[in-house]
Amino acid sequence: MAAPPEPGEPEERKLLGFLDVENTPCARHSILYGSLGSVVAGFGHFLFTSRIRRSCDVGVGGFILVTLGCWFHCRYNYAKQRIQERIAREEIKKKILYEGTHLDPERKHNGSSSN
Amino acid sequence: MAHAAQVGLQDATSPIMEELTTFHDHALMIIFLICFLVLYALFLTLTTKLTNTNISDAQEMETVWTILPAIILVLIALPSLRILYMTDEVNDPSLTIKSIGHQWYWTYEYTDYGGLIFNSYMLPPLFLEPGDLRLLDVDNRVVLPIEAPIRMMITSQDVLHSWAVPTLGLKTDAIPGRLNQTTFTATRPGVYYGQCSEICGANHSFMPIVLELIPLKIFEMGPVFTL
Repeated sequence: MAAPPEPGEPEERKLLGFLDVENTPCARHSILYGSLGSVVAGFGHFLFTSRIRRSCDVGVGGFILVTLGCWFHCRYNYAKQRIQERIAREEIKKKILYEGTHLDPERKHNGSSSN
Repeated sequence: MAHAAQVGLQDATSPIMEELTTFHDHALMIIFLICFLVLYALFLTLTTKLTNTNISDAQEMETVWTILPAIILVLIALPSLRILYMTDEVNDPSLTIKSIGHQWYWTYEYTDYGGLIFNSYMLPPLFLEPGDLRLLDVDNRVVLPIEAPIRMMITSQDVLHSWAVPTLGLKTDAIPGRLNQTTFTATRPGVYYGQCSEICGANHSFMPIVLELIPLKIFEMGPVFTL
């Protein structure tokens, strides 16, 4: 995430010069959906009311709400995925260490299911 | 180590630093959205044609702009406190290293399994080999195992210093007459750099910290004890 770009790789681009949306999980996804939500909400409001100023306000509000909503949803799933990955890594390590011994997790599991 | 003009955090080498990086992303997104809202409000204020100077109360708006920031602060505080308490968890360290700050070098003591004590001075530019990092490399690195909880006891012999390694999420003040403790578990091998983080005199910028993290099997063979 913080490694400098290699000579052959394209330069990393940051939104507004400092927001690293490419390397921050869920950031690009949230900002894109937020922008789409903003355009849909703002333009839809304008089509129904023909009020430009209020439609801009709705667009900004839509951007904030949709970005936040996508962000929290995506980060929650990302955190769940990280926990599952960690559990899987630990179980693989245990399996490698204890395979064939009395501590083999698979043997314990098969033993309890046959009983 | 950090690369030139780096603004963001370094890649995490410990679980705590991974959590801190995640929290940083979370807080930065909230900050970005608040800034966006404030900039928009400022833009509206500067471009409005309305000139009513007699608005005296706006109860609903005041309620909203009191409750909403409180909710935002709670959303930031809860993960922050979770990580704070995570850093204080007791995890039965396998190894204890003492780190003593001096003007202007560090002394490290491995006293668990013997009496290894050594100083760690920055390599002067004239003594650098090709590939060495200027102002970061030292003559004697701190060699530690990965995937083992390690306790660092940090103090100082003269003035305030601070023992910091950003990639591990560590920064602990070295205070004369006081013993501070920090623990960490490194998840990947490599060489990691830090610098003294408390102003301590003329050569404050020239007393770096270098950790060499190696697999436990190799550490147990005793390379650190063969100086």
